[in-house]
Amino acid sequence: MKLRIVKRLLEANERIAEENRRLLRENGVFTINLMSAPGAGKTSLLVRTIEALMDKVSIGVIEGDITGTDDAERIDALGVPVVQLNTEGACHLDAGMIREALEDIPLGGIELLFIENVGNLVCPAEFNVGEDVKAMVLSVTEGDDKPLKYPLMFKESGVLVINKTDLLPHTDVDMDKIRRSALSINPGLRIFEVSCRTGTGLTEWTDYLGALSVGTGMY
Amino acid sequence: MHEVSIAQSILDTAVAECLRADFRRINSISLRIGRSSGVNIPSLVTAFDIVKADTIAAGATLVCEEVPVRGHCLDCNSDFDAESELITSCPACNGARFRICGGRELDIMEIDVD
Repeated sequence: MKLRIVKRLLEANERIAEENRRLLRENGVFTINLMSAPGAGKTSLLVRTIEALMDKVSIGVIEGDITGTDDAERIDALGVPVVQLNTEGACHLDAGMIREALEDIPLGGIELLFIENVGNLVCPAEFNVGEDVKAMVLSVTEGDDKPLKYPLMFKESGVLVINKTDLLPHTDVDMDKIRRSALSINPGLRIFEVSCRTGTGLTEWTDYLGALSVGTGMY
Repeated sequence: MHEVSIAQSILDTAVAECLRADFRRINSISLRIGRSSGVNIPSLVTAFDIVKADTIAAGATLVCEEVPVRGHCLDCNSDFDAESELITSCPACNGARFRICGGRELDIMEIDVD
């Protein structure tokens, strides 16, 4: 006998993501879901960003990793609230994991929340977690073919931070090609070129974060 | 890469619906899977075969219908199917103003039960 049920499976994640978004907005928190391949420099960008903004904005961080607490320790050393999530093998963060992490973060005292997703250029792009904006990091050493090879993340992101620009002289990477192909997938993408190692370009990025949060009480 | 957790939620949903309707065994589960849903069907079938063991769906098969990406052009007003969401123009009039309105489906449509 056939039972007709018609259920959308990703609906559960979307519903929880919407609840997270409502909770975060009620508390005046602007949330950024930070995604990239492993080793592109998400945590380095976070450390640099926190150092630049922590006197002006109260920041919190949720660190997503398959295992380990290295990243949370790097953030904790800066003295901002951080929660480490271990996905125990899962390749992305989903809205349910973030809902649990939000219980451990003092939301009332936070204006800007970074969610550092699991290092993976594929799956994190498919799961909303309740963020205001998705930002991705691409390091120049990954190659200029990545936008067209991993298009979904470039399409879903509002911001692309191209990191490790200090290494450009040692690579054959065509920066224009990265920009052109990323913009062909997502014409509205905001692109920043930075080096977390030397600090080049970081002011534009942190100014942008300030402008993003106009109206939420930041600055 | 995330097909195991998706297979598990398909199984959980189907088992709950089956028991709620007072049936005891699931023979098949029919799914509609959009081409842009990010789900790889062969991986999903393999994952489902693993998670279904020792459940009332142990003998169940997945029946997967792949759904194309669909768009609607705001210039020429046509509806069209596409291979992916990553098109830059309407296939009918070449216009750049279009909306993607389908292709991310991941729906359980019906289950066959006893």
